[in-house]
Amino acid sequence: MSMANAAPRLSRRLGEGVFLAACWVATGIALVALTTILWSLLTKGVGGLDLNVFTKSTPAPGSEGGLLNAILGSLMMCTLAMIGASLVGFLAGTWLSEFARDSHYGKVVRFLNDVLLSAPSILVGLFVYEILVAPLKGFSGFAGAVALGLIAAPVITRTTEDVLRLQPTALREASVALGAPVWHTIFAVIWKSARSGMLTGALLAFARISGETAPLLFTALNNQFLSLNMTKPMANLPVVIANFALTAYDDWRRLAWTAALLITATVLVVTMLARTFLRGSARS
Amino acid sequence: MNAQLDNPPETAILEIAPETVKLAIKDLNFFYSGKQALFDINVSFAANGVTALIGPSGCGKSTLLRVLNRMYGLYPGQKATGQVLLDGEDVLSPRVNVAALRARIGMVFQKPTPFPMSIYDNVAYGVRLYETLSKADMAIRVEDSLRRAALWDEVKDKLQQSGLGLSGGQQQRLCVARGIAVKPEVLLLDEPASALDPISTARLEETIAELKADYTIVIVTHNMGQAARLSDHTGFMYLGKLIEFGETEQLFTNPVTSRARDYITGRFG
Repeated sequence: MSMANAAPRLSRRLGEGVFLAACWVATGIALVALTTILWSLLTKGVGGLDLNVFTKSTPAPGSEGGLLNAILGSLMMCTLAMIGASLVGFLAGTWLSEFARDSHYGKVVRFLNDVLLSAPSILVGLFVYEILVAPLKGFSGFAGAVALGLIAAPVITRTTEDVLRLQPTALREASVALGAPVWHTIFAVIWKSARSGMLTGALLAFARISGETAPLLFTALNNQFLSLNMTKPMANLPVVIANFALTAYDDWRRLAWTAALLITATVLVVTMLARTFLRGSARS
Repeated sequence: MNAQLDNPPETAILEIAPETVKLAIKDLNFFYSGKQALFDINVSFAANGVTALIGPSGCGKSTLLRVLNRMYGLYPGQKATGQVLLDGEDVLSPRVNVAALRARIGMVFQKPTPFPMSIYDNVAYGVRLYETLSKADMAIRVEDSLRRAALWDEVKDKLQQSGLGLSGGQQQRLCVARGIAVKPEVLLLDEPASALDPISTARLEETIAELKADYTIVIVTHNMGQAARLSDHTGFMYLGKLIEFGETEQLFTNPVTSRARDYITGRFG
């Protein structure tokens, strides 16, 4: 039994080669798809990118215009949705991880949250239509924010619970052993230790809702004009893309591409900013 | 070894002088999820001294330690009966404010557990919970605690850096500093050197030896040499029972019970 000099058996080397090749091919397919998407987005979107995009509202076909109303509408609804969803998600995730880890009620909530996590977004839109739009007899930016928040909250809840569970028990006990109440331990030590993961979860949720179209169709609808009133229909980038992309007007289609590019760029920039910020604070 | 007493007692618990008692454990039984882990523990620990708890893995040493500051209370399904008297006051009473109690009974764990914050804030963390000190007073408290934990010289120039950046031994001394900064009366050490290299262990032992002048220290250890070096009294536990408790020198040189004798001479464990 000379283990040292024995070359691996042929079948084993073959197996490793095949597996490695499969990994390369799979990675390649994913990368090709990604670059193709980004490339077409860039080539078709950059052309329409000018100052008008940020200063003028969506135009009638053939006239000059931009995306100002949609950009502001999307920003307002996403911000409001993220505030609400972060509040709910961070606290619900904390409850699931720290207070209801093994309880029956906790298991039910966790299961329902997972169901909500994978619920088709158009259902969320219809749900908010039924509870907010129909009774109040009007589409509104507020309803749009609620729909987006309902999509973001389960994502944040799930990731928050997951990263909190990863924090070592010893860390909790060390704080409690100093006389800290459990709630203080969670906020001052556990959240602090888990903050990068929690923020990543919130970013995932933001990336998800920033491109959601279906829930907004039934809630915020759209608005041709600039409106900052959240109780009225509100323009937003995803619905503008959906409306403009399928028309025969070249300028509308160009704006749709530009809007898509803007969403992608925003997600990219926000993610990079957050990563930089986190790396900086981790060193402190 | 065969020439021992014909009929050695099952247990032998030394009673220490009542006026020196800091912690008195009476008829303590402990259960988790229905399983009994400690059986009828009756023993007292002396003030301003070091008591070591030794015994094979799973004998209940750490469990006993975690009863003393009610750490077990974090977990549903764990239950203690009997009494643990700290200066005559029952720690296990439901009326006790557990958080305030834990500030009086500090604990250092097996693995170093620095908080994700600066060295300074690590030490100040516990103090801020119960005291409002001026900036200057807090700086004095932090320095004093770090000095007593024999860490000051190594960290005095980087107090604002993260505690996570220290070596394992330094982290553990940081945890000791954090524990004594709140000025507890009792310090529980749960195998504090088990994750440390020999040099760090030696430094930690020096720290403990110096601390005993002001604190009642209970240390759980697998290292019998450590128990012999550090402690005034030693308790030997086996299968959830306290088998023998006495003066350290006496217990290590001439144990009364056959189980303690077998363990100390290396016949098992």
